[in-house]
Amino acid sequence: MKCLLIASESAEVLFHWTDLEFQQNIQEQYGASQEEGQGLPAFEDMISTQFAPIIISSSTLVDRQGDSYTSFTTESNHVYVLHQFDECLYIAVNGDGEEKEDDLRRKIYVMKKMIEVLFGMVTLSGALLKRELRPQDTEQRARLWKHLQSLLETYSHLRENDQSFLVEAVERLIHPTLCEQCIEFLERRLVQQLNSSVERAGEEVLHAFILVHTKLLAFYSSRNASTLTTSDLLALIIMAQNMYPSNVDLDDPSPEDVESTSGSGPESFYTPEPSPTDRDSSDSEKPVRGSTPVFEFVDPDVQMAEDSLQTLEVSPPDPSAPRRVFLEVSLKDGLYPMMPHSMYCLPLWPGISLVLLTKISTSAVAMSVYKFLEAFAKLEKRLNEGQGSAAARGQLTIHDVRGKLDRFIKALGQSEIQSAHLQQVWTDFKNQAFTKSGSGFTRDLIPWCKKMKTQLCGVYRQCFLTDSGSSDSPRRLSPALQERAQTMVQDKLLDWKDFLLVKSKRNITMVSYLEDFPGLVHFICVDRSTGQMIAPSLSITERTTSELGKGPVAQYIKSKVWAMVNTTRRYLQKGYSTVTLRDGDFYFCYFLWFENETGYKLEAGDIPVLPDDSAPIGMLAWDYYKKLLRYYSKNHQGEAVKCYELLTIHLGVIPTDIILQHCRQLATKLWEPSRNPLL
Amino acid sequence: MHDKLMAELMPPDSGRCNYFFLYDGSKVTGEGDPTREGICYFYPEETPLDRQELLCSQFAGVGRCVSELSSSPVRTLRLRHNKFAIRMKDDFLWALGCSVEVPTVSVCELLDQLINLFCFYNGSVRQSYQLNSQETLAARWARYLSYLQSGSSEMCHIFSCLKTIDSTNVDPLLLLKAALILQACQRCPLVLAGCILFRGRVVSTQMSPELTMKVMVHESETYTKGQRINGPSTSSSFDGAVSSTTVFLTMSELQYLQAAPVDKDFSSHSTPSKNAPPKKTRLSRTLSDTPSTESEPSYPSSSQSPQKASLSPHLSESDTSVSSPTPSQSTADSLNPSPQWLRPPLSNGKHSHEAEEEALDQSYYHSFHNNGDGGSQIHSEGDSSVFGENSHLNGDAACGTVFDFRGTDSENERSHEDKMVAGDSRGCCGTDQGPKAEMKDPSHLPSVFDNLEESPFIGMTLYMHRVKGLVLALLVEPHFLSDAASMEEVYHSSLASLNGLEAHLRTISPGAPGAPGPYMFAHFDCIQSTLTTNLSGRPGGAPEHPFVRATSLLHSHFCNTETLQEAIIRSASAAVYGTRSVAQETYFQQHGGSLRNSGIPNHQDSAFSLPSKARHRLLKHGVNLL
Repeated sequence: MKCLLIASESAEVLFHWTDLEFQQNIQEQYGASQEEGQGLPAFEDMISTQFAPIIISSSTLVDRQGDSYTSFTTESNHVYVLHQFDECLYIAVNGDGEEKEDDLRRKIYVMKKMIEVLFGMVTLSGALLKRELRPQDTEQRARLWKHLQSLLETYSHLRENDQSFLVEAVERLIHPTLCEQCIEFLERRLVQQLNSSVERAGEEVLHAFILVHTKLLAFYSSRNASTLTTSDLLALIIMAQNMYPSNVDLDDPSPEDVESTSGSGPESFYTPEPSPTDRDSSDSEKPVRGSTPVFEFVDPDVQMAEDSLQTLEVSPPDPSAPRRVFLEVSLKDGLYPMMPHSMYCLPLWPGISLVLLTKISTSAVAMSVYKFLEAFAKLEKRLNEGQGSAAARGQLTIHDVRGKLDRFIKALGQSEIQSAHLQQVWTDFKNQAFTKSGSGFTRDLIPWCKKMKTQLCGVYRQCFLTDSGSSDSPRRLSPALQERAQTMVQDKLLDWKDFLLVKSKRNITMVSYLEDFPGLVHFICVDRSTGQMIAPSLSITERTTSELGKGPVAQYIKSKVWAMVNTTRRYLQKGYSTVTLRDGDFYFCYFLWFENETGYKLEAGDIPVLPDDSAPIGMLAWDYYKKLLRYYSKNHQGEAVKCYELLTIHLGVIPTDIILQHCRQLATKLWEPSRNPLL
Repeated sequence: MHDKLMAELMPPDSGRCNYFFLYDGSKVTGEGDPTREGICYFYPEETPLDRQELLCSQFAGVGRCVSELSSSPVRTLRLRHNKFAIRMKDDFLWALGCSVEVPTVSVCELLDQLINLFCFYNGSVRQSYQLNSQETLAARWARYLSYLQSGSSEMCHIFSCLKTIDSTNVDPLLLLKAALILQACQRCPLVLAGCILFRGRVVSTQMSPELTMKVMVHESETYTKGQRINGPSTSSSFDGAVSSTTVFLTMSELQYLQAAPVDKDFSSHSTPSKNAPPKKTRLSRTLSDTPSTESEPSYPSSSQSPQKASLSPHLSESDTSVSSPTPSQSTADSLNPSPQWLRPPLSNGKHSHEAEEEALDQSYYHSFHNNGDGGSQIHSEGDSSVFGENSHLNGDAACGTVFDFRGTDSENERSHEDKMVAGDSRGCCGTDQGPKAEMKDPSHLPSVFDNLEESPFIGMTLYMHRVKGLVLALLVEPHFLSDAASMEEVYHSSLASLNGLEAHLRTISPGAPGAPGPYMFAHFDCIQSTLTTNLSGRPGGAPEHPFVRATSLLHSHFCNTETLQEAIIRSASAAVYGTRSVAQETYFQQHGGSLRNSGIPNHQDSAFSLPSKARHRLLKHGVNLL
């Protein structure tokens, strides 16, 4: 009984995902309220009808009470979690007790994160995002939703089975020599060769990494690349897993498995916007655009030059086409969220893939758009606060922006990008803001700020969500180049392949700790400053026995680990950084602490207390730890602060003194360089 | 506990409840029906009407939608700034909103208490609204709500607890005396159970904490009205000190009252139960719980009534599933005399007398109402007794919602006897309490069937005899009031004792609050719903806030995780230890000590010595964590 729904304020379904049980439930409910003899309408309509009262009530409450629903529970313990992101209302439902409120909220935030990765700054304009999530063309919509649904399912699967997605940190394969070799290989051979090739079509490989299932074997970033955040890396791993699902439940892939997955393409294939294959046809349509309403609703504010929406001929999935992903980039002059990249996921063998992230040639436009968006958002905020004149004067920017934007629009005019609407709105804005006849910097300008933002998002959308490369020379690493990269790495890892697949299941095992730590059942250690975790494998499969045994016992311990992580997060959210619990036959400990770079343990500080409905604690959807570190570092200026977490499970019969000693030893030893050089 | 007195003197803080409303959806069915028609009561009353309408209509709409989707009524509804407990029944929708800080379990508990209170004094909600004007009932809701919120410290937002007198200052003999007064009253067969209250605090009670709390509302009302006689059904025959009002019990409440062991009547007075595990007797923590020898004189008089056996209601009710062939014969003859049930007073949780009690424990007392401990015992004892054993725990089991018969008297012979008698009685005049009550007093409101509880309410009468600050409250059969002889008897038999008790209690000084000590603790007895704490209860007590917050979180966690036994949580400002058993929850924080630490695991860290510190420190408060 699970469901996730995204709806607009007018109760239009922008996305839905349900499991079979929930779907049947909706159909029954709907059927009951319908007259006999009528066939059931599309599921989308049913779910929309069923949820409409909630959605409408929610927006009524926002409008009139300034408050909004965050959750419902029923006597049968069904849980509904609601969250409004701008104009989109997300509703997640669970009716089978498998997910708690926190899990649902996390799911909502992860969904939002994935949408941001896929659509970038288009998400900043509600109107555009709505159209993006709900393409007019039903086939296209079905394809998009299927893709999003499968991403969500992949995430849910990982969240339920993979410890690194449980704690939201990346797990590395612990094999120092091989890792080092691979990194060197990526740096000296692969990336260098790719970036010096002419076939790269203006793209530049920034990051390259090798995944074995969900674990990282090697990661290399080129020198002029900004760091890839953990949040983005985890999102990319979800995407890679979604493209090439590794059958984690099978320990030794049988020959058939290999057959079926090797070399086969992705199961569901989606590129944000298929490239217009016929440029001319879309061009020719341009003049008549105004007279042919192509949208369900034609919001004059939203009207803008669009060329891709008409071109719905579905190009056959092109395996060499990269995914457009939008990732955070931090440069010297600031942080740029959602900058366009291309992601190439090249399968090496089933379970092992190479991922390349490239910077695309036009990404400078994205930075400009972001700066303008930011300027208008700030202006709008000030106007809202009623500091009109201050908004105009105090900002170094608005006049500054004026000049820059003029130049930007001029430059756009020379490119293929259609900027007529942007120019129009900008002219109107200038008339309002800068001329005597206009309103000047008053509240009346707010709608114009909004319009400008929408137009800018529209330009961004054109540039990065539609493949603006001309059809004969798509801007991407050429298929041949991709193939070469694939082969190079395959050659390099050929001898290691089987080892790696096994190693990824048995990265580290409890066996090696049992002697030193009698009574220890399991532990997870996370370095939050780097977003990496380490934990004994907990693989529970039919065919193999882990140290925890097999079947129910292992399953039970796994469920305890999962529950424990949720529990400690709840306490952390309320400011508690140390938690010990005696629960049933086990004793659980959780510690969070800070160190400086030399390993000196810093004094525990205040940890902010967050409301119940705040973003989930983790690193994937919303990087709580980054904010925590920033908060904590305020009192440790000039010092690099690191943040660690340790979670242990002991048998309850072990005296607490001993348990705490174990924890201490684990905490100090685990990250010792000698032990895990790459961590 | 003495600090609780202080808490009362403090002006009540803003209260835990921000909103409360009752909305009747049946009044608003058509398109044109204004929402305000459906609003039965809205708190705060000064809320602008359009805002009232907004909340009512939105909640009702969303509630219906969610309930349909999930085929189950909505239980909670959270907004960013408020959390609401919701109850939906028939067309009614109740919502009670608190700040998001209050644990959800506590909000739901508060709403249930409120609704139950209303039903206790008014019977079925639907019928009340048919019989009374909206204004009258609004005033009642307001009164109940303000009672539930009165004098509540932050801790009381978390635990719903009974206010009890500070036992540490009271001579245990007084408690014993109070218990005896109650028992004496029960000699009258029309008296079901009772409690004695002093200035709004429980001295002794024979009823469950929930029921006691309900009774106390009426007491506080009469108290604040300066002993003015009040209520429609007041009888003024006894110089104004006596009042009464109609109340409504649910089936389970009645069953619980009736489930008290009748067998005591038959037991040889002095045989302590050798079979009873000693631990069991430790359930009784107060002297008032162990007055067996003193109370014996009451037995003969009570057992002389030949009919009393017929009443063995606890067996007829609780054992129906197993043994009674006629579980609910509503054909009870109206000749059937009223039952009398002897049941011992419920202690009000004085933990500090354990030492003395241990001796007294020997004089085993048969019916502790401390059901929770009983619960644990029931499990540990292995439930092999299918029927009628260990009947002194019967009441305990019955107190919970599960009404089973497992519990137990350990004296087999006795229970056999009981069983026989019970069986007989059922055979000859098996009665169902509900209908009987109904029939016995035709003048009375018939028992009201209210769908809220899916079970009928049974009309009873709450009799109150006030002696200045002291009140004797008895739940009696409705026709008690028309039975002049019985009333006389109860009145006169207790009058002198009440006067004496009042005189003693009055002289007791509140007791200077002891030094706060280098620690804070809160100990909640889930069975008796009593809270012991050394917090000042001052609202906004800054130094206490971290402790209260931690307690609130831990309490929620304990409620949601059955297997959790103990926890230590530490923030930068406080390390708090919480532990719980079936019967109690205890929270402890040590002041001072160096909280300076790095947060890294360290077994020398002071936080990890909290369990042993709590064990030692709390012993002197009568809290035993061993």
